[in-house]
Amino acid sequence: MIVRWLNKLEETVFCLLLVAIVFLVCVEVFYRFVLAEGISWAQEGSLYLAGWFVLFGVSWGVKHGVHIGVDVLVKKLPKRGQRIVTLIALAVCLAYCALILVGSYEYLSLTYMIGIELQDIPIPKWQATLILPIGMALLVLRFAELGWRVIKGEADSFGFSDEGQESMHLAEQRNPEDYDKEGRP
Amino acid sequence: MTIATLFILLFLGIFLGMPIAFALGFSSVTTVLLFSDDSLGSIAIKLFEAVSGQYTLLAIPFFILSSAFLSTGGVARRLINFATDSVGHVKGGLAMASVMACMLFAAVSGSSPATVAAIGSITIAGMVRQGYPQSYAAGAIANAGTLGILIPPSIVMLVYSAATEVSAAKMFMAGLVPGLLMGGILMIAIYISARIMKLPAQPFPGFGQLFRSGGKALAGLLLILLVLGTIYGGVASPTEAAAIAAIYAWLVAVVGYRDMGPLKDDPWKRPGESLGSALARSLWQVPLAIVGSFTNREVRGVVLDGAKVSMMLLFIIANAMLFAHVLTTERIPHAIAEAIVSWGLPAWGFLIIMNLLLLAAGNFMEPSAILLIMAPILFPIATQLGIDPIHLGIIMVVNMEIGMLTPPVGLNLFVTAGITGRSIGWVIKACLPWLGLLLGFLILITYVPAISLWLPNLLS
Repeated sequence: MIVRWLNKLEETVFCLLLVAIVFLVCVEVFYRFVLAEGISWAQEGSLYLAGWFVLFGVSWGVKHGVHIGVDVLVKKLPKRGQRIVTLIALAVCLAYCALILVGSYEYLSLTYMIGIELQDIPIPKWQATLILPIGMALLVLRFAELGWRVIKGEADSFGFSDEGQESMHLAEQRNPEDYDKEGRP
Repeated sequence: MTIATLFILLFLGIFLGMPIAFALGFSSVTTVLLFSDDSLGSIAIKLFEAVSGQYTLLAIPFFILSSAFLSTGGVARRLINFATDSVGHVKGGLAMASVMACMLFAAVSGSSPATVAAIGSITIAGMVRQGYPQSYAAGAIANAGTLGILIPPSIVMLVYSAATEVSAAKMFMAGLVPGLLMGGILMIAIYISARIMKLPAQPFPGFGQLFRSGGKALAGLLLILLVLGTIYGGVASPTEAAAIAAIYAWLVAVVGYRDMGPLKDDPWKRPGESLGSALARSLWQVPLAIVGSFTNREVRGVVLDGAKVSMMLLFIIANAMLFAHVLTTERIPHAIAEAIVSWGLPAWGFLIIMNLLLLAAGNFMEPSAILLIMAPILFPIATQLGIDPIHLGIIMVVNMEIGMLTPPVGLNLFVTAGITGRSIGWVIKACLPWLGLLLGFLILITYVPAISLWLPNLLS
């Protein structure tokens, strides 16, 4: 129950961040052209929101198989081989997360010590970049979860998204017979 | 040594089945750690700055969102009706109309496979009923669908701009003439083959009908005009134009077309309703629908779809920027460029090699990923050989189009196979004659820079 609620929350925050950027940019254009004065913090704000949007969403993407990759070779292996290769790939991904995590700790502790703020918004810079370690930590969680599922035999690979496959829903929702009834081609 | 480490790690990662973003990121971070003095902290902040440091990059999620709203069967149907009414009465008119509908839908949606699925699923069956061979219809649609990444606004072009810092506005302008030219070439080819094969024409529906269907398609088509108009009218940057386009697309989908959201299946004017009461109903319904779409399941689904594709692309771009950073600090492209110049390889020779390389890469990877890996390498070489950066971008985009039609990863092939219910082999055969046209077009674009550069030069 709580897990389902958390998933819903994750999705909502993820979408809201994108929607917020769109509205922020539009409102800024409106202010600049209709009211003839821009919003000084809008550009920096939308850029940082974009950073939060991407880094918050990456881990969600791992769980839902949104990322793209090349799996023609891995798919050729037998199931057992696929799992072993996927576990190796997952270990490399975890290593990447660990490196960035260490790096972001170094950077954040430095900016915390210096105590600088953003250019146009009075927020300490370390708080604005906090999503970097948070995002990486969430990624570690998702990769570990996927690894556990591979070990248990519930998953074989990353499950990449396939734009072709996803486009098919556009085709399926239209039935050519319905189209005939309208008397057009 | 550095080059070898970087590329071996990258390709090892990719072929192990790692997501491309992580393969790019891991190979770059490791190479930096092993061979340079940069600290981990500086790499981490580079990654953060790559997703939050460039205002132009924001145009990508905005365009993805706007296309998510307008990539619906309803929009496809309106565009097909309009195209059929305008060119259907020519010999081979239905095929021409399909190509035209593909161009329009592709421009609005920006996605090739989505274009083939949405337009093809309606028109291929329609053409077959009119006596066209199925392979002819399928081949034409699969090819016309690739025009999506050439006709602005195009996400692939934005990715190229991000990788090379070429102006996105200029890239859009440069893509317009080649896009229309390729559409024209396809239509002429259809006209000639229709004469030879004696394919049927539709009766002309009359101007009244043409204006009616044109009016219905207009709301979607205005998006293209809105984007290009605001950019070249100097009102907004591509990023701002894209944000306006996203809002516009949302309003058109929810309020105008009512393909989704709270007002779905509730027309502007119900049958038997007087104009006055329809207006009065709109007065309270429209604001309610705008607010209501925030909680509407369908609208939220579309936003989530747009958000996930945006996030995926932006994260690849961020890691590709780390990769490009390693390349440039190690001066790898410059070393290659100097070697090539010292061999005395002329620009046209380089272009042939580049085309072959990109066509080969197109067989295995997605357009955006290829551009992000190849552009930082090819770009400095090309500029040294005196090739215009914008021209280079258009050549790369046309190469990516062809990649959509070549196995094993040609997305359009899979979608066409899906909607016709035929095998991939059958689709490849159906596409071959059209693919020849596209290859000829690639040569034309590669060796006649004026096609791409004429319009941007005229306007700057």
